[in-house]
Amino acid sequence: MDNEVYSFALKNTLNEIQKVCPDVKNAFVFKEDGEIVAGDENTAEETIVHAIDALDGMLEKGEATGGVENIVFEGNKGRLNVSHINDLYLVTVTSKGADANYVNTVTHVLVSTVLKLLEKINPAPLENNSGRLQAEPEDSITENSEEPAEEFVEEVETLEHEENVEPEAETESRSESIVPEALVNQFIVENIGGLLVSGDTVRIDNDILLQWKELYEDRKIEEAEIETFGGKSTRCKLKPVKDSKYEGKGIIQMPEKIQHALGIRKGELVRVKPVIE
Amino acid sequence: MVKKKKSAQETSAIAEPIVVEETISGDDLRARLEEIKSYRGVIGYILRNANTASIDLDDPAKIIDYAVLSSSAFDASRDLSQLFDLGNVENSIFDGRKIKMLSISIGQNRISIFTEKGTDLEKILMNLHTS
Repeated sequence: MDNEVYSFALKNTLNEIQKVCPDVKNAFVFKEDGEIVAGDENTAEETIVHAIDALDGMLEKGEATGGVENIVFEGNKGRLNVSHINDLYLVTVTSKGADANYVNTVTHVLVSTVLKLLEKINPAPLENNSGRLQAEPEDSITENSEEPAEEFVEEVETLEHEENVEPEAETESRSESIVPEALVNQFIVENIGGLLVSGDTVRIDNDILLQWKELYEDRKIEEAEIETFGGKSTRCKLKPVKDSKYEGKGIIQMPEKIQHALGIRKGELVRVKPVIE
Repeated sequence: MVKKKKSAQETSAIAEPIVVEETISGDDLRARLEEIKSYRGVIGYILRNANTASIDLDDPAKIIDYAVLSSSAFDASRDLSQLFDLGNVENSIFDGRKIKMLSISIGQNRISIFTEKGTDLEKILMNLHTS
């Protein structure tokens, strides 16, 4: 899976862990090869590098003796815990009085869940566009909502034949609700530059645009609503990506002006929903 | 992974971490370790101080691996304590897929006790902490 997605999700998870457990002073995650995956906002990268270096010998020899599951360093001022989760090491530093069981439970549950979630929603890492990921469950929702709608139209037709009264207006208003709810896809922000770049246009995978067009057959989709995980949103024009290296990777190319307005940067995740005219 | 340069003056760091009763004499400590060695699940131990080292392990083929693991644990304790202000590292527990290792410093002595996975270390700690 793409490192940026992992890092973004895990960094947020680690920050949330600290909110839930204020006794957690530092938390970071690194790979078995020593590469840093994510660290909380209180821990400097340099500190993480030194910590990984300090653990290196023990982890290496630990693997030679059958593998590492957990390591605890119990100090009189604090405690450091290293947990092996999947192919990652999660390190948490807690103050002396912290409830170790509680902290371990929270961190393990949260980190494991996020990792599993990432694996599920992004099984073929951005090679196969993460934008499609959320579409699947929502497709099924759309299908479900379409079925009763068709039944309803049939019902109304029958009524019209039988009673020949005025349910037309009602039919119209109800048939409007048949339009499937707009799909929400997640994309990773990528910069877009060049002289001819329009400042109000974002570019996404053409496959996604085609999917949307297929889904909303008679509707125009020229714009999209972009929402950050911080809650900011904006509406932009939509175009397919031109650069083939961004195709099928769940990337949204976005001018810096829009990134700035949304308070985001390259590599962050955004939700994108087509604006159905 | 970034490779760690092993310090040649490893012994100089021996005394740094740790608390526990310094009143336990060398002989007493050895006797306790012999007793601990008889506990169910205990594979062996390594005892080191500035002048001597004694190793008692069921599987001699593992001596080097275990000795390096033990030494790495004490090095990591010292470094991580400085990095994260953990204070004196009273003990460290390595929980592996196959073995467990309890590392503890008592005075000038650095002890690592190896056990089978799943062994309860409480009894061992109690024994070492009783003066």
